[in-house]
Amino acid sequence: MSAARDKILARIRTGLGRGTLPRESREALDARLDGAFKPDEPLRPRLPDKPLAALFRERLESVAGTLQTLHGEPYIPGAVATYHASRQVTGPIAVAPSLQDLDWSATGLEPRFGRSHGEELLCVSRAFCAIAETGTLVLLSGPENPTTLNFLPDHHLVVLDAADVVSHIEDAWARIRTRDADWPRTVNLITGPSRTADVEQTIQLGAHGPRSLHVLLINSPRRS
Amino acid sequence: MHNARSHEFMTRAVEALHDETLRTALGRAKDGFVLKRRLAFDALPEYEQLRDRSVAIKNHTLEHLDHYLERYEQAVIRQGGQVHWAENAEDAQRIVVEICRKAGAKSVTKGKSMVGEEVGVNAALEAAGMEVVETDLGEYIIQLAGEPPSHIIAPAVHKTKGQISDLFHEHHAKYGLTKRLTEIPDIVNEARQVLRQKYLDADVGITGANFLIAETGSNIIVTNEGNGDLTNTLPRVHIVTAGIEKVVPTLEDATTLLRLLARSATGQQITSYTTLSTGPRREADFDGPEAYHVVLVDNGRSAMLRDEFREMLRCIRCGACMNHCPVYGAIGGHAYGWVYPGPMGSVLTPLTIGLREAKDLPNACTLNGRCAEVCPVRIPLPDLLRTLRHRQFQHHIGTRRARWALGLWSWLARRPGLYHGITRWQARALKWLSGRTGRLKAVPLAGHWFKGGRVLPAPQGETFMDAWRRREKQS
Repeated sequence: MSAARDKILARIRTGLGRGTLPRESREALDARLDGAFKPDEPLRPRLPDKPLAALFRERLESVAGTLQTLHGEPYIPGAVATYHASRQVTGPIAVAPSLQDLDWSATGLEPRFGRSHGEELLCVSRAFCAIAETGTLVLLSGPENPTTLNFLPDHHLVVLDAADVVSHIEDAWARIRTRDADWPRTVNLITGPSRTADVEQTIQLGAHGPRSLHVLLINSPRRS
Repeated sequence: MHNARSHEFMTRAVEALHDETLRTALGRAKDGFVLKRRLAFDALPEYEQLRDRSVAIKNHTLEHLDHYLERYEQAVIRQGGQVHWAENAEDAQRIVVEICRKAGAKSVTKGKSMVGEEVGVNAALEAAGMEVVETDLGEYIIQLAGEPPSHIIAPAVHKTKGQISDLFHEHHAKYGLTKRLTEIPDIVNEARQVLRQKYLDADVGITGANFLIAETGSNIIVTNEGNGDLTNTLPRVHIVTAGIEKVVPTLEDATTLLRLLARSATGQQITSYTTLSTGPRREADFDGPEAYHVVLVDNGRSAMLRDEFREMLRCIRCGACMNHCPVYGAIGGHAYGWVYPGPMGSVLTPLTIGLREAKDLPNACTLNGRCAEVCPVRIPLPDLLRTLRHRQFQHHIGTRRARWALGLWSWLARRPGLYHGITRWQARALKWLSGRTGRLKAVPLAGHWFKGGRVLPAPQGETFMDAWRRREKQS
């Protein structure tokens, strides 16, 4: 390891007035790190008493996001086409490979399945979950869900299953940890469209990322 | 190696006070920040508890900083990334330039990074012949203007729409954009258009980090524009520059701090984008960088662990202290002369570039305490500034006159009888001097203070002790 590393670590220990931590202390710290020992339960802000999906929608809309409910995945291509037309977008669209199995043939759109290179004005991704506390979508990178779709288009549409709305930020971490895959390169917590207030503190949407963020909430009717 | 101009504080503060455009820009910003922050915390009953938790998390991490940095490093390596350690600014510059050279980089985009500003990454890369483009709109504006940031979260807060429009007119002509813009949406759109191509062309993207997570080896950045995400996703190489104090143990720990960060900074519950980057792209991924490097910067931080300035290492760079500081509100960030302005800057700057170079900063404070009241991680900024003043006195920094006056005062203050006698006489004399107006426009031996038309309300002719005694008798 580098000399600078050793010097910095030595200076830190000098500053703290001790040498290397004894093994028992390191084990205790590692237990905290692995989640085996929790110093305190996280302090979660109390949320209003309402369904998580409703709270998620309220908070998403408070940051200029929009949402529509669909009664099943087969309706996704049609909803994308309607949105596409309403925004007068032209040219191809980019769609996450996780949505490739849907029937896009009747939409008249030209979906490209994969990443974006910036030519598409509209992209569609799938959220891993969403957080009611803050109105936040959680998207994980991977071949099924490229990250470029989240930032290069003017309009970003995100498919979210209603069952995947969790209450607090910590619940999203727990879900990512327990899924059956390695930790992804990128975890995006997205709360509304891109914005800036760098010119005279005036909020302007669509600084570098999407100008609009639209959620397609899948709420399949229960089958008994 | 720094381009600090903190020694010019007095001159530049006076210039700032006479700059009407600056005062307009600062007035507008300050009210917005203060109000939005207050509304955000009014809606969060858990605020004080979250502050206590945040202080505890930061203190715990700092007490075991060596261990958590080692664990963080291991996690980054496990995820396929590389960790570099920089003792000072020169090291950090050299490391970043080397990574870019090895990548054959011609063009580098940057997300906003205060550590990047601190160690002077841009100048080093430009000297090595690379094009560096700041992508945060505020940072881009000040890069065009050739200025340092004047606020840690709103770098171009001192610029008006007209000034930004002029800058774009001057610098965007080479892209064929020659129309003079007057509306904010058009200004933002033109920057979007110019920077879009820069993102796509860049070979290396450099971002900062709001948090480093020891558990996962991730870095977290919070942004609103999405520029940080285009910077860390599109280029072949992603470099993260971060101070060693940015590490926290787990994602839950970072979450507690995140709940305070955006609310303290802009009054948002959470920023538009909170992004975790962990290593380079995975084998099957279609996008993301092929290489991931972290440069851990010490630059004076480890030395702060040994005394009361350890508390300063809790700072999460929200900017609330400067938004609530009357001195910052009057003069803006540039007068402070380096990258960190306001109360947190007045503590950090002398510690980083030297107490002598930045001798005026600890004194540019009224000790009103608002910064400490709003600090989400309860840094006792006024106490730390007082400690710096004390150190200055011990090291004989400051004018001989100030030293002489302080010495005289301290001699007098230890002789209560004499002190009361003299202050009683002084209060009467000042009242007499003010005449009927009740205002002082000049005082013998203090002519300098009144230069430029300052006016001081005169004492009422009685000391506090006398007034107290009189009222005791009356009741």
